[in-house]
Amino acid sequence: MSKYNAVTPELISELENILGSRYVSTDPDKLEVYKTDEEANPKYHHLPEVVIFPGNAEEVAAVIRLANKYIVPVTPRGAGTGLAGGAIPVFGGIVLVLDRLDKIIEINEDSLYVTAQAGVRTSVIQEEAKKRGLLYAGDPCSSESCQIGGNVATNAGGNRAIKYGTTRDQVYIVEVVTPQGDIVSLGSRLAKKSTGYALEQLLVGAEGTLGIVTQVTLKLKPLATHSMDLLAIFTDIDKALSLPNKIVKAGITPTSMEFMDNKAIQSCARYLKIDLPYTDKKGVYVIVTLEGFNEDDVDQQTAIVDELCTEVGAAEVLVADEERVWKARRNFAEAARADSLVYYAEDIVVPVDKISDLMKKLPELENKYGIATTTAAHIGDGNIHVNALKMNIPDEVWNDTLGEFHKELYGFIYSLGGRLSGEHGIGSKKIKEMELFTNPLELKIMKAVKSALDPQNILNPGKIFN
Amino acid sequence: MSVTIQQEKCIGCGTCTTACPFGAIEANEGKAAINAVNCTACGACVRSCPEEAIVQKDANNVQREKVDAGMYKGVWVYLEQFEGNLRRVGLELLAPGRNLADELGEELAAVIIGHNVESLASKAIASGADRVYLVDDKEYATYNNDNYTLALTQMINEHKPNVLLLGATNDGRELGPRIASKMGTGLCADCTNLGIDPETKLVAWTRPAFGGNIMATIFCPDQRPQMGTVRGKVFKPAEPDETRTGEIVRACPEVSRTAIRTKLIEILKIGDNACNIEEAEIIVGCGRGIGKRENLKLAEELAQALGGVVGASRPIVDSEWISSLQQVGQTGKTVSPKIYIACGISGAIQHLAGMSSADIIIAINKDPDAPIFKIADYGIVGDVLEFLPILTDEVRKLKAN
Amino acid sequence: MNIVVCVKQVPDTTEVKVDPQNHTLVRQGIPAIVSPFDKNALEEALKLREKHGGKVTVISMGPNQADAALKECLSIGADDAVLISDAAFSGADTLATARTLAAAIRKLGKVDMILCGKQAIDGDTAQVGPELAEQLGIAVVTYVAKIEVDGNVVTIQREHEEGYMVLETKLPVLATVVKSINVPRLATIKGRMKANKTQIAVWTANDIDIDSSLIGLNGSPTRVHRVFAPPQRSQGEMIEGTTTRDTVNKLLGKLTDAKLI
Repeated sequence: MSKYNAVTPELISELENILGSRYVSTDPDKLEVYKTDEEANPKYHHLPEVVIFPGNAEEVAAVIRLANKYIVPVTPRGAGTGLAGGAIPVFGGIVLVLDRLDKIIEINEDSLYVTAQAGVRTSVIQEEAKKRGLLYAGDPCSSESCQIGGNVATNAGGNRAIKYGTTRDQVYIVEVVTPQGDIVSLGSRLAKKSTGYALEQLLVGAEGTLGIVTQVTLKLKPLATHSMDLLAIFTDIDKALSLPNKIVKAGITPTSMEFMDNKAIQSCARYLKIDLPYTDKKGVYVIVTLEGFNEDDVDQQTAIVDELCTEVGAAEVLVADEERVWKARRNFAEAARADSLVYYAEDIVVPVDKISDLMKKLPELENKYGIATTTAAHIGDGNIHVNALKMNIPDEVWNDTLGEFHKELYGFIYSLGGRLSGEHGIGSKKIKEMELFTNPLELKIMKAVKSALDPQNILNPGKIFN
Repeated sequence: MSVTIQQEKCIGCGTCTTACPFGAIEANEGKAAINAVNCTACGACVRSCPEEAIVQKDANNVQREKVDAGMYKGVWVYLEQFEGNLRRVGLELLAPGRNLADELGEELAAVIIGHNVESLASKAIASGADRVYLVDDKEYATYNNDNYTLALTQMINEHKPNVLLLGATNDGRELGPRIASKMGTGLCADCTNLGIDPETKLVAWTRPAFGGNIMATIFCPDQRPQMGTVRGKVFKPAEPDETRTGEIVRACPEVSRTAIRTKLIEILKIGDNACNIEEAEIIVGCGRGIGKRENLKLAEELAQALGGVVGASRPIVDSEWISSLQQVGQTGKTVSPKIYIACGISGAIQHLAGMSSADIIIAINKDPDAPIFKIADYGIVGDVLEFLPILTDEVRKLKAN
Repeated sequence: MNIVVCVKQVPDTTEVKVDPQNHTLVRQGIPAIVSPFDKNALEEALKLREKHGGKVTVISMGPNQADAALKECLSIGADDAVLISDAAFSGADTLATARTLAAAIRKLGKVDMILCGKQAIDGDTAQVGPELAEQLGIAVVTYVAKIEVDGNVVTIQREHEEGYMVLETKLPVLATVVKSINVPRLATIKGRMKANKTQIAVWTANDIDIDSSLIGLNGSPTRVHRVFAPPQRSQGEMIEGTTTRDTVNKLLGKLTDAKLI
């Protein structure tokens, strides 16, 4: 009893008129690919009725106008690397793939910005900037495969947020196709602005419910010339968690500060078939990246952090290498999937000073509900990834147990002043929890914004809230 | 050094910097500067310089001891045996060895060292050798690098071959350098092409350098024998001709026991069920485009349906998703199957070096500009994850009929 | 036990790209690293030192910038490092390199064991190790996956096509090691900081006792005659169908027509 109409041959032929028949597909084999993103649990999967590949913003806009005319839902999709089911066509209809918008329009080395279409891979932007001695600071762990449009839609975070903020902080301008099918450029290349609502910021993290991002202009920064990656290994988790605050208080801003618990280290070592230090000695890792523009500066920072590590009781302070330590951290999610194909990737965020409260609570919940977990965290910003592994728990029991586990975990998170998601988004997976834990008035305002912009609820319905 | 930049003529245009295949020229205060250690004196920069500011000094003006090349005649191929069986690569090498010998107007000889290996000599003759030097003695029953090096060196000193080819096996890559070092001669590793330079009558050894990014042709002008190793499957063996005749020369090199410093205790064999991709007729090669480790099973299923095996490019092996025994390419195995299906392989030159001699190459890749399409016989632009299950499905249907 | 580890600084070939127009290497921004198998050699040396005592010296022939590779080895735990660097070494092939390293090692004095990686990842020749042993007149074992030392008896497992050869030899010996022999440890931060401030000793051709006709290009029996872009196969046929299944069937049709399957 969907309020949406089915996709008709008439609509297909109108889509073909706009895009050319090459770029409109109803091939069942193809539709199969677009029923999910990174989500492996079939209970979240939904088949689209048609998949389309527009080549520019005008085509996207024309499609959206058509969808409004036929009252058919449109689910925009980047690289499909999302972990919250944000690109799943919950109500069928059209999946709109942005792969063809893959051009970098301009890189301005003097004014320090890059303008790129939504389908450009984030790593391409990073590499192009790097070639010019510049840095694009956004760095989600999936940067090799994800696209910049998706980064904007989810306000992707990543490892460098402690120093540079999240995608939101990199955005100057977003070009969007509105839910009604207009093309509008929001934001500006201004350091200061007090001229009406910051609508570009409203679009960031809106998960494609308020508009389809087709092009973005992002800030670039000078690329640090010197860096040092430290791996501090602790056998006591409390000592490990006391480190970040000491570093910040010493006046040092690391580029990233990552944490891995012992189960995560074991899981990654198993998955990558590599030896990681202290795996069998109950070690936990804090990885700290320090950067600067000359060797002395970095050396000085390193000496201070090395001393702080020893002071708070690190068992060893090593150089974190790319081939093992960082590779393990980057493969945290893949490793969990190898342990248990079905797992739930938590993306909770708490105030930095509350991390240790949460870490104490986790084993308690784990025992109570009998759920195995692995944990890695961006401890510089309080964003904690807990993978709840299904392992051999039967399906029926799993969904119920996970529900109970969530209820208690999220209740605790909100009591600490935290939120459900730090960087993955709510998508289609966390709607229930969103409605349960969000302040009703706040939720009401969000819904009002949505219905003002998208009265027919055409754009990415079934996401964030119902 | 033999290449110098005349600073007063250099205008710092940077042409030579990009022309240098070895990255040996850098800019220094607005002028080009040669990084002496990387420089191979190949002369590419000399030709590139618009100002004629780079000069190549003739290295031959420098005195060095030369051998009397005229004394050295004949092309030798070392045929490695293990437990009385010839390794295939040796027989393969008789084919290019034959060509070199014919072009030089010299004899092709095979060298076999072992115990109770006389029967192998006739195989060498059938595959093209005019003569076989046979060392057949219980002292040589198993490979020992001291024993074999000294025996071969004695034979070389006695018979003075012009050229010596070895298979690039683990033993060949141990023996070759030891002999070359002892003889003070050059050795060219992992050659992919052998020929005779018409002008100098030298062997032109061609090998990939920098992971196959460029090819280099190398000469060994003043020392003998001219030596090279070649990997398996680079050349195809000639059809054996049982009617060919040749001479078998028994050699009895004398190696003092005190010169033998390593002793074989035992050989630990590992099961030979580890898939041997060098022998496979059909290989489903997987690259980065496969996305993640779990997706490899899609390739395994296709390989199974086709009766082939799975191979992989280096990034997949480096991620340890698959055993390095299955790596195809410059640092892995060289294969030449009937069909090679490249799945999500962009076609880095290092990978192409290992598989471009396949009879038919099929490439599936998302990126229409991927270099793999340049060498593929059949190309499909698309997502491998979408194609693989359907391809497997259709192959199964085809086989069922 | 005095152990010498030979290392080479190489461009990270996994990052090497080729300019499609003129087929030259794009080297800009490609990191220089210690050739990976050499790190396994260093790790094995450190393990042997831990067990039997002694000293680990790392040597490298290369340009001045190669001191970064030696500093990395120091920060991982080597006791000493020497860079062998001189314009006179330029254009050296594997034999001239082996002769130069041999002269340097002789200068170091009594050496019990020399460890190298099985090959450097830029040249992939795997020749310098055995050639060096020959120059020094000591025993050599290549493709080594395990080393045990008891007094002056060394038991070695060597990788072979069929599995492993177990070999016994005596010190001094040169071994070239494979990746599976060990897991290289990480550098300590303190070690890295100290190494960064260390001035690496540099030996020139004058510092080692060797005839100038044996080193560099003059001492190299091989000559690079020509470099060129790898040949390419002729362009094939692109297959396109209305659906994925259609494309697959078109492909299979071609293969069955050609009696390939």
